[in-house]
Amino acid sequence: MTYFVFFLGACFVIGILGVASNPSPYYGVVGLVLASVAGCGWLLSLGVSFVALVLFMVYLGGMLVVFVYSVALAAEPFPEAWGDWRVAGYAGALAAVVLVGLVLGGVVGSWGFGVVTVDSVGMFVVRLDFSGVAMLYSRGVGMFLVAGWGLLLTLFVVLELVRGLSRGAIRAV
Amino acid sequence: MSPLHLSFYSAFVLSGLGLAFHRTHLISALLCLESIMLSMFVGLTIWPIENQTPSFTIVPIIILTFSACEASTGLAIMVASTRTHGSDHLHNLNLLRC
Repeated sequence: MTYFVFFLGACFVIGILGVASNPSPYYGVVGLVLASVAGCGWLLSLGVSFVALVLFMVYLGGMLVVFVYSVALAAEPFPEAWGDWRVAGYAGALAAVVLVGLVLGGVVGSWGFGVVTVDSVGMFVVRLDFSGVAMLYSRGVGMFLVAGWGLLLTLFVVLELVRGLSRGAIRAV
Repeated sequence: MSPLHLSFYSAFVLSGLGLAFHRTHLISALLCLESIMLSMFVGLTIWPIENQTPSFTIVPIIILTFSACEASTGLAIMVASTRTHGSDHLHNLNLLRC
């Protein structure tokens, strides 16, 4: 069980490496989907199923879907995948930098093993993340309203940014 | 450092380096920003699990909300750049170059 969680952690890093090596955006999104699936599986294995499903639905099903169809604006005739020598060179250099940092930082020699999970202990019938996020609506109602106000504000920000015909915020001349 | 902490920490560092060494597309840099946010979300969710404090579970939800705001603003900038310059290549954003 512990090694399964470590495997998911390794898949997370490999997915992020696939994004950071900057291939063509079509392939970068694949790396991000792999990383978020691995991260969701990691959180599920640790027991916080609510936060994992929030990640899946809001992040993967909401934000990444918007990214995927915005990638259509980045069309190019010969997209570079990870087999291309430029992208593979970047991926290798990034991995080498992280490994050198690990070895020099003395991390590899001193590994503490173990996975902490969540448990319904004693009198509680509600799990950790369900009760925690429910507090957002009772005790944290101020932050809840601020976040909702921020989302509404962002809607108008996006509207003004993409308004064309000489009224937009970004023009060439 | 435990291997799981190492995992999201190195994911954060890798995404930051990927943002710094960007190449051609603006949306690749935006994808690196998204992966920074993803690694921070996973790290912030592991904190209440290890300390067994339920109330801290609010923080990853709030950060996901504001990251959605940031992603939509970044995509709006990319759309405006494509509409103006014809593509989202980063060498087109050169107004501040001397």
